[in-house]
Amino acid sequence: MRAPPGLARLLAARGWGRPPRRCLGAMARYGTEQRGRPNSPDYRLYFKNADGKYISPFHDIPLFAGSKEVLFNMIVEVPRWTNAKMEIATEEPLNPIKQDIKKGKLRYVANIFPHKGYIWNYGALPQTWEDPNHTDNITGCCGDNDPIDVCEIGSKIRSSGEIVQVKVLGVLALVDEGETDWKIIAISVDDPEAQKIHDIDDVKRHKPGYLEATVDWFRFYKVPDGKPENQFAFNGEFKDKDFAVEIIKSTHEYWKALLHKKADGGTIKCTNVLVSGSPFCCSEEDARLIVQSAPVPVNGDSVSPEVDSWHFFPK
Amino acid sequence: QPEASPQAGPDFFPPPPPPLFCLAEDAAGRYISPFHDIPIYADPGKIATKDPLNPIKQDVKKGKLRYVANVFPHKGYIWNYGAIPQTWEDPGHKDENTGCCGDNDPIDVCEIGSKVCSRGEVIKVKVLGTLALIDEGETDWKIIAINVEDPEADNYNDINDVRRMKPGYLEATVDWFRRYKVPDGKPENQFAFNGEFKDRDFAVNVIKCTHEHWKALIAKKTDGGEINCTNLTVSDSPFCCSQECAKATVDAAPPCKAANPIPPEVDKWFYYQKN
Repeated sequence: MRAPPGLARLLAARGWGRPPRRCLGAMARYGTEQRGRPNSPDYRLYFKNADGKYISPFHDIPLFAGSKEVLFNMIVEVPRWTNAKMEIATEEPLNPIKQDIKKGKLRYVANIFPHKGYIWNYGALPQTWEDPNHTDNITGCCGDNDPIDVCEIGSKIRSSGEIVQVKVLGVLALVDEGETDWKIIAISVDDPEAQKIHDIDDVKRHKPGYLEATVDWFRFYKVPDGKPENQFAFNGEFKDKDFAVEIIKSTHEYWKALLHKKADGGTIKCTNVLVSGSPFCCSEEDARLIVQSAPVPVNGDSVSPEVDSWHFFPK
Repeated sequence: QPEASPQAGPDFFPPPPPPLFCLAEDAAGRYISPFHDIPIYADPGKIATKDPLNPIKQDVKKGKLRYVANVFPHKGYIWNYGAIPQTWEDPGHKDENTGCCGDNDPIDVCEIGSKVCSRGEVIKVKVLGTLALIDEGETDWKIIAINVEDPEADNYNDINDVRRMKPGYLEATVDWFRRYKVPDGKPENQFAFNGEFKDRDFAVNVIKCTHEHWKALIAKKTDGGEINCTNLTVSDSPFCCSQECAKATVDAAPPCKAANPIPPEVDKWFYYQKN
């Protein structure tokens, strides 16, 4: 149904009618395709763009989501309150999401009392890379060889493979098993409280305890696996939005160097379809062959009940 | 919720959801009431106390299905939660510890074992202690217990074992019950004994009292109001009925169907400072 032009203008001015382009969710531009069986080692989630072309979420999704407030695209790997450690497969062409495997077993993160699984929607920023050949001058440690991680603190539980436009709010400088592992704190632009939350202090105000719980989580989350408590730079204090954006920009530069073969990525797969000028750019047809060679999609396996155990530490 | 995160696209096949309206059956496949026909002392969804055969159903408040709020840092219920059969907190009786009348329900249990149990599961538990909640002015004892099949069950015999081996869990439990209705606009709840947990012997005694109240109810010695006392196995109860009658009750219920989706507001985390 189409309104007459004058009425359409009036409705638009009042916030009705077709939404302006930038408000369309990022997800409208991307889709995913499951291969293999969920909860199994052969599970893969490949990505497609709006034209139905297979892409790499690591390399082919723009980091910057445009607009006047600094907005970024986030690739969701792990929905809040779940345990399966899903991640972008940096060493496979087209970098699908898969479940991490450690010591031959599918990895599920422990429930660190009082927490259940991950306590935010967790994922990564595309087109970023923490270069392991580079010693970070703040943490004193080398990069962890992965895109930069994001904890999205909005109310909605996202799905693995979802692309969400986020506002960056701050950053935590985790040193995970001796490697630099920045954790960006962000919120979805669509969150009902996004209008009130612009920087790290707003998080403290609107969600008291959440940042403390975040430090606590990252400090302890590997202890049930027999690893020591993790360390932080800045005594575990969160740095603000401007600081976080600088960190993101530098990891974006490392990524650019990687894609243009100016940095050594080791076993990282830089295969992409949209990064023009990259020596790793491949054709649509090549991309399709990569996806089709993965196992056919089937229903999921059930998960072992030990995943549900709660781990307690002395207070 | 399926563990493998459901994706928005057409290619994911989520496992079928469990039924929401569970009627109890005994081992012979006969319909029973979980409130009245399951023995309190083991050898062998909020129970709907006012419906015949007391199936589990979802509570409805102000015309809407009730979902408990997530009070940060907690997500939903922080134990397997349920009831002890053949017990009843008599609203006509003022509890000498709390000074309040019973909440008209079977006595509640928080089961603290590792396993996430399923709705409708009947498990044997060891009683460890109790918390004397006063929920909206009614006595509402919370029994703390552990599944006998928990791998650590042998190490849990009394409330101090919980303090020792799951530090913070009892504190979180008081915190949860104190605050869980605040997002619905209710005040914080109160407790008898300053929110201290009483030990196993005390708890067993509380359970025994509520069992006596139930016996009086099922024998029609106490007026249960709208409580439905239909049962299959309490042979000297005036409310005992036949399997045919039970089957008719079940057959009259709507057929089993696929679950509705859960509204996303249920995932919201509520924050506020503790007093």
